[in-house]
Amino acid sequence: MHNIREFMSDDHRRCDDVFAEAEQAAAAGDWATAQAAFGRFHAAVLRHFGAEESLLFPAFEEKTGMRMGPTQVMRGEHVQMRELMDEAAAALAAHDGERYTGSAETLLIMMQQHNMKEENVLYPMCDQHLVEYVESLVPRLQAEISPGGGAGA
Amino acid sequence: MQALLSFDQAPPLDAPLRFFLTAPLFAVFAGLLLLWGGPDIFASRWTPDALALTHLITAGFMLQAMLGALFQLLPVVAGANMPRPRLVAGIVHALLTAGTLLLVVGFLRFESQWFRLAVLFLGAGTGLFIAAAAGALRGIPSASPTIRGLKLSLAGLAVTVGFGLLLAASLGWAFDLPLARLTDIHLGWGLVAWGCALLAAVGYVVVPMFQLTPSYPLWFGRAFSFAAPAVAFAWTLAELLEWQILGTVLAALVVLTAAGFAGITLHLQWRSKRARLDVTQVYWRVAMVSALVAAALWLAAMLLPALAEWPGWPLLFAVLLLHGGFMSVIVGMFYKIVPFLVWLHLQNAGRGRLMAPNMKKVLAEKSMEGQMRAHFATLALLVAAVIWPAWLIYPAGFALVLANAWLLRNLFSALGVYRDHLARIAALEVPGEGGPTGGM
Repeated sequence: MHNIREFMSDDHRRCDDVFAEAEQAAAAGDWATAQAAFGRFHAAVLRHFGAEESLLFPAFEEKTGMRMGPTQVMRGEHVQMRELMDEAAAALAAHDGERYTGSAETLLIMMQQHNMKEENVLYPMCDQHLVEYVESLVPRLQAEISPGGGAGA
Repeated sequence: MQALLSFDQAPPLDAPLRFFLTAPLFAVFAGLLLLWGGPDIFASRWTPDALALTHLITAGFMLQAMLGALFQLLPVVAGANMPRPRLVAGIVHALLTAGTLLLVVGFLRFESQWFRLAVLFLGAGTGLFIAAAAGALRGIPSASPTIRGLKLSLAGLAVTVGFGLLLAASLGWAFDLPLARLTDIHLGWGLVAWGCALLAAVGYVVVPMFQLTPSYPLWFGRAFSFAAPAVAFAWTLAELLEWQILGTVLAALVVLTAAGFAGITLHLQWRSKRARLDVTQVYWRVAMVSALVAAALWLAAMLLPALAEWPGWPLLFAVLLLHGGFMSVIVGMFYKIVPFLVWLHLQNAGRGRLMAPNMKKVLAEKSMEGQMRAHFATLALLVAAVIWPAWLIYPAGFALVLANAWLLRNLFSALGVYRDHLARIAALEVPGEGGPTGGM
């Protein structure tokens, strides 16, 4: 059985793979493929954020009473990454390679240091505090994250 | 738990940056020392000038960079927050900088009072850092190889500094100690149980995440963080007890442990999914190759008496490992960390009213590439200068000055972008100007 840390970390890696696809295509000047891949990446990340913000974080906050703690920081970083993704998507739409590389590079580092905090600190805390809910929570996260699922998709 | 609640408390920008902006200055001093000392500096690893040169690079460049990076990394990677990071960073930085200069003057003039002062300053600076970092890490479970590696490398630093202080004290107060033997222990711990262990702890995270490579094998992450200090410890015992053959075998194990890290890293980087090699990745790869060549040279010197008799081999080893290995990796990481931190702090300061310039605008790829070419030319010249010092020591010294002045200029240009952009944000906040302050 998956715990929250494994399940959510796996989704981080899936997003990384699609990010790399978009980067490969953009570097090769294949704008159509790059836009399509970045579109899939963008959607996958938004579903991941959605699952965290609508299910995981509220459950954690409810259980621990920590509303202004780590989840608040993570929400703030989600806002920053949403802006960077919009910026990168706009650069791709304009076929502006330099602007895309700059914002994608910034996005990658922002995203990875965010993932690091979640995977090393927040998810282990979730597994610890939400131990009795993990069994029901993981399938709901799965439904939210899979393409076609989720309220916002 | 307390630490976790506040894990957004990334330290202020100046905490890591003051170290990063000082490090290249010491490498510039090292280049100037080569120009001033001339070919004699490479006569043997034991000349006072060579010792001064080594410490300008290890304590001046490397230690500055590594401590600066830890102020940033401990909260982000481990959720370990130091109390009052700005104050601690300021004090550690001042003591470390002064202590390194005192130590270098001590070697150059070989007078005891300088060593005594160096012991005082370096002991206080590194002691304060180790205490603050250990305090921040206390109670944080070793949930990943990175966190465990950070803790063990900190212990490696403590041992390295301990032997270093003992050596400097014996020069300052004329203790009767086996200096050559203790020096080897000091540098073995410094290079492997501190330097390589810290690099590995950080590498487990930054190599897969930023270069989009597969992860390090699980067994490696678990085994390495224990193996590095364990073999270093066994080897130290053998050295202190003067068990010659066992000592050599264990020293070879220490070298092979470090080489294992370099080999696996190179293998992973080969499978990177990034579209093209950027400056940081080239720096990493050259560093790992250079470290492997250094390890091969060390093993060859143990096996071939003819090579072992050449006084140049330890210098060549030092050039390959310190300049080619550690300095390359550090500069490569500066080029990711500094533009990202500038972006992050500007983004937080702008709060959506003014978009922060992306990393490539903070520090242009072209400036980094030019500096990197100068760095690698320096490496080639230093290697050649060990073999033909009379001819090449001056070009090598000049290149070292140039490459590091260039690095300094690049880092300051990123700081310039930061200040300009902050001024633009401040201008938005002036009331009554009618700027787009109201909206998001």
